[in-house]
Amino acid sequence: MRWLSLYFLTLAILGSLIFAEPLLSQEKTLDDQVNEISNSLLCPVCQGQSVAQSNSNLANDMRQVIRKKLQEGQTRDEIVAYFVSTYGETILGAPPAKGANWLLWILPGLTIVFGLFGIGIFLYRAGSGKEIKPDKTEKTESRSDNKYLDKIDEELKDDS
Amino acid sequence: MKFLRTANSIVVFIVILVFIVLLGYSLFSNEEAPKTSPLIGKKAPDFTLNLFDGTDLTLSDLRGKTVLLNFWASWCMPCRQEARALEDSWQRYKDEDVVFIGVNVWDNSSNARSYMNNFGGAYPHGIDPEEEIQVDYGVGGVPETYFINSSGLVRDKFTGPLTEQIIDYFVTRAMEDTDNNIKDENIQ
Repeated sequence: MRWLSLYFLTLAILGSLIFAEPLLSQEKTLDDQVNEISNSLLCPVCQGQSVAQSNSNLANDMRQVIRKKLQEGQTRDEIVAYFVSTYGETILGAPPAKGANWLLWILPGLTIVFGLFGIGIFLYRAGSGKEIKPDKTEKTESRSDNKYLDKIDEELKDDS
Repeated sequence: MKFLRTANSIVVFIVILVFIVLLGYSLFSNEEAPKTSPLIGKKAPDFTLNLFDGTDLTLSDLRGKTVLLNFWASWCMPCRQEARALEDSWQRYKDEDVVFIGVNVWDNSSNARSYMNNFGGAYPHGIDPEEEIQVDYGVGGVPETYFINSSGLVRDKFTGPLTEQIIDYFVTRAMEDTDNNIKDENIQ
């Protein structure tokens, strides 16, 4: 019974979070929106800082422009497109998913999927009690292959 | 186990195939080569400057003329370095259909006026009260100079201190320019 109530409590918390998120996003203030957009843009004159993080004059101007465009009713996508048209795609914090950039988007996912697949295979083999077979081409020394050991075995038998 | 070995081979094959396809796409796709500015070949963003002599200047009013648009600040040492070349070049081009405009950015007006008294202010200099021009033009620092042709398209961008030779080169390119030249260069 306790587990059941815990289960429903967890469901209720997760459900409320899922449904509350869109409501919260509707209540974003202008400052929040400016911050969100400026966080997604890299400051062109700074080392690895976003427009939101930078204190440079240019970043300050850019934040003012974002604020003004939002007040004019422009959308996030329109504002980002404006900055790409003036500074190029290098201003984007995340590379657009096109051309060679696809590698950047796909590789982490592929690495995780194939890594999990590899781990799965390893665990499957370990669980089934089958050891990984040695390479057949590799020359291994077995007792029967060694004529000296065979001879010792024969002599031992004779002694007994 | 045979199934797993086959699956392994398929996975490795798919990974290699994905790499080859993406590499080929990136190498042979017709994406434009990077330019000094995304604005090159596009319409120059319009603006109205408050000039230091008290008048206003609007870029779109200069259609039909070649425009050299120079961004500078009084605290900028390379700007001082190029000031003489700009003044001398202006004296040579002022009787032709060429307009030089200085845009003072990230500065205060008293320092800017003092700078112009010391380093020359024969051609129009001003500021954008909204401080948007520098963002509209994608300026990253000073000095930066844009060359706009008579059709109002951005022809070239130069970052760093100008010399008379550099000015001559880009102004001549902009003066001789037609819109078709820019389109042809962008295709290549």
